[in-house]
Amino acid sequence: MSAQAPRPIAPLLTLAAATLLIEAALYVIAARTPPDVTLGVVQKIFYFHVGTAFAMLLTMVTGALLSALDLVSPSDRIDAAARSCIEVGVAFGSMVLISGPLWARKSWGYYWTWEPRLTLTLLVVLLAIAVLLIRGLASDGATGRRIGAALAVLAAPASALIHLAVKLWGGNHPSVLQGGGIQSTEMRIAFWVSVAGLVLFAAALVQTRFRSLRLQQRTAALELDLSAIALRRAGRGQA
Amino acid sequence: MNPSLVLRLTWLLLKKDLRVAARSRETWVLVLLFAILCVLVFAFGFLREGGDGAEVVPGALWVTLQFSATVALMRLFSAEEEAGALTTVSRSVAGSAPLFFSKALMQLIFTGGVTLTVLPLVLVFFGATAMPIGPTLAALLLGLLGQAVVGTLVAGLMLRVRQRDVLLPLVLYPILAPTLIAGVKVTAISASGGDPEVIATWLRLMVVFDAVFVLACPWLYARASGP
Repeated sequence: MSAQAPRPIAPLLTLAAATLLIEAALYVIAARTPPDVTLGVVQKIFYFHVGTAFAMLLTMVTGALLSALDLVSPSDRIDAAARSCIEVGVAFGSMVLISGPLWARKSWGYYWTWEPRLTLTLLVVLLAIAVLLIRGLASDGATGRRIGAALAVLAAPASALIHLAVKLWGGNHPSVLQGGGIQSTEMRIAFWVSVAGLVLFAAALVQTRFRSLRLQQRTAALELDLSAIALRRAGRGQA
Repeated sequence: MNPSLVLRLTWLLLKKDLRVAARSRETWVLVLLFAILCVLVFAFGFLREGGDGAEVVPGALWVTLQFSATVALMRLFSAEEEAGALTTVSRSVAGSAPLFFSKALMQLIFTGGVTLTVLPLVLVFFGATAMPIGPTLAALLLGLLGQAVVGTLVAGLMLRVRQRDVLLPLVLYPILAPTLIAGVKVTAISASGGDPEVIATWLRLMVVFDAVFVLACPWLYARASGP
């Protein structure tokens, strides 16, 4: 456990890049993109909604992959990375679940519908929260970590099946990208800039959380060392 | 790892569990009572004067089974746990596989028994005795199998987690969502005399679900349980 925690400079750089991109996206969205022909100004939620969804997807998938890796060859580093990914995934998932219904109310006329992507997002966020809760409530850290990793791995095929099931079940999410929902170059630029900005923002959060988890792990190891030394001294005193 | 040894130990453990269940009776009587009450609650909650009871059948049937299976899962490992024998059993010469398989089979037998009581009860209470039962039986078999495998994994892993009674369904239900959706669909479609092609599609989804989890869960259990 001598691994150095990464310097805080890396998350700061990512955060700066994310800020720049998000500011640029805001400018393009507010000043440059035309209002949508059918939906009007409401359509502009889209840029943030899809960006947060991208970030959620990326962090969750990375978290599940890292959890699988941690089960096969356990390491504190991978564990901290997996956990920070899942935590940030939950945060972004909540943003998706809030911005989605707001937009849906205006464009579809209702807040919620039982449709593959919505159902999947909701269930995945709930599962991720459960996994994080279990890690906290397990009798000891190592147990919680193993259980959390196993469930995160199980959640991956489950998510694919949930998606398949709800798709068969019926319903349709607008496929904006394929369906020609983007009507102009400005819209396309605004879209990709906000996606990049939000994904970078998620990356900055993951980095920050990763760093704090690594520092926690190091503190725990140092405390262990300290108590070992104290024990040894006490033993010597007795002898 | 020797397959015949795993089989023999699994059978031994299962026989032990069956014997305990036959002698003590308390768990399965309680789960059965719970299931019957669940059906009643659904009847009180959803049946209206002049309403069509048959419409509620798929939901009442599958949700009752899901709830009673959860109650059964909470007691699945209790004998070993109370005797402090869990570590010993999971460190047998054949690893943790016999424990996992025997518990999953036990859960399957248990929920199968509950189903045999609940299914006729639901059909009678909700006035749907005329509906074709074949596809629903197939779906029930597949659904119970998936539930037993995933449930055993989650219940087995949660043994050393605080507040696990609350956490168990929190993890289990999202993962089991595909079987619940598919099962409800199969029952609903066959009740309204729908297309057998569509029913087959749903049953295939359940087969995929079962296959994935029958392969993944024992491995995950071996990896994640233990000291």
